[in-house]
Amino acid sequence: MIRTIGMLSAFSSAIFFPWPMTACLALGMAIFEPWTPLAAGLIVEALYRPHAAGLPWFAAAGAAATAVAFFIRARLKTGIVER
Amino acid sequence: MKRIFSARRNALLPQQAVSRGAVAVAVAAALYAFSALAPNAFWAVVSPAFRASDALASGARSFLAGFGNTAALAARNEDLARKNSALASENEALRQNSADVTALVSAAGSGIVASVIARPPESPYDTLVLAAGAKSGVARGMEAFAAGGVPVGFVSEALDDFSRVTLFSSPGVVTDGWVGQANVPLTIRGTGGGAFEATAARDAAVAPGAVVFVPGPGQLPIGSVVRVDSDPLSPSVTLRIAPAANPFSIAWVSLRATGVPPGAFASSTAP
Repeated sequence: MIRTIGMLSAFSSAIFFPWPMTACLALGMAIFEPWTPLAAGLIVEALYRPHAAGLPWFAAAGAAATAVAFFIRARLKTGIVER
Repeated sequence: MKRIFSARRNALLPQQAVSRGAVAVAVAAALYAFSALAPNAFWAVVSPAFRASDALASGARSFLAGFGNTAALAARNEDLARKNSALASENEALRQNSADVTALVSAAGSGIVASVIARPPESPYDTLVLAAGAKSGVARGMEAFAAGGVPVGFVSEALDDFSRVTLFSSPGVVTDGWVGQANVPLTIRGTGGGAFEATAARDAAVAPGAVVFVPGPGQLPIGSVVRVDSDPLSPSVTLRIAPAANPFSIAWVSLRATGVPPGAFASSTAP
């Protein structure tokens, strides 16, 4: 429930708050839901990116943050299993 | 005694077969596809949320203003009322004078007035989304002007009921202009966040406070130099330019066809 609320807060902040706030919320939620930065990046691109523009920077940054989050979770998970 | 192993639940481990995050990514991808395939319908759906955001922001400002120092607020209120009265008189005189001038301006003189739905800093790309589109006469390449006739950008996308304006401060957008009373020519580059920069020769002696202009009907102020960064080893200096119109609080823009082709504003990396 809390995770769902956190994710929805991160996504809705793309409309209500400046984009650095959206980025902070997405990165904070990445600990619990690694896909959150990628989803937030896609939502920001859908809302604000001019469609004739070049690389979708925010989706790319979200994908990178998601990859890092998965890597960190994998390391933590391994540590917990071995204990 | 046999020890029974019980797996401890970990708050970091997903508790479902399909994670919420994966569902969120699927929904976000569907939204992105919706915005790409049917942008007009997409903005018709999301624009009420942006209106609600603006209403919430103005309500919050009013609420927080109530906590200000009462005496200071009363003094400021009196000062503003005095200035308002003086400006109203001046405005009336100017209105009388402009009646004759307006008669000489063509029918497209005042342009199309459009309200802003989305603006920076919510928008990270330094773009405005307007509630006027092709049905209102908006066309790609029109120039957007804020209050006071300050040019702020150009229309980069025109849908049926909505349009998108790329600000001159958007990264990758290059605009030609000049600075100061000496009319030093500049190539003004957008740096994002509503700011610009330009390079000038050190000999030009551009000082902070100098006004930067772009071509238009006459010369139009686009901003002013707030800082001059120089490297002793370089013959040129970098001018940091703040916009004349705050893009974070633009509520209305006027769109006019100034005759400049759509691609003339932009560099190769801009939309």
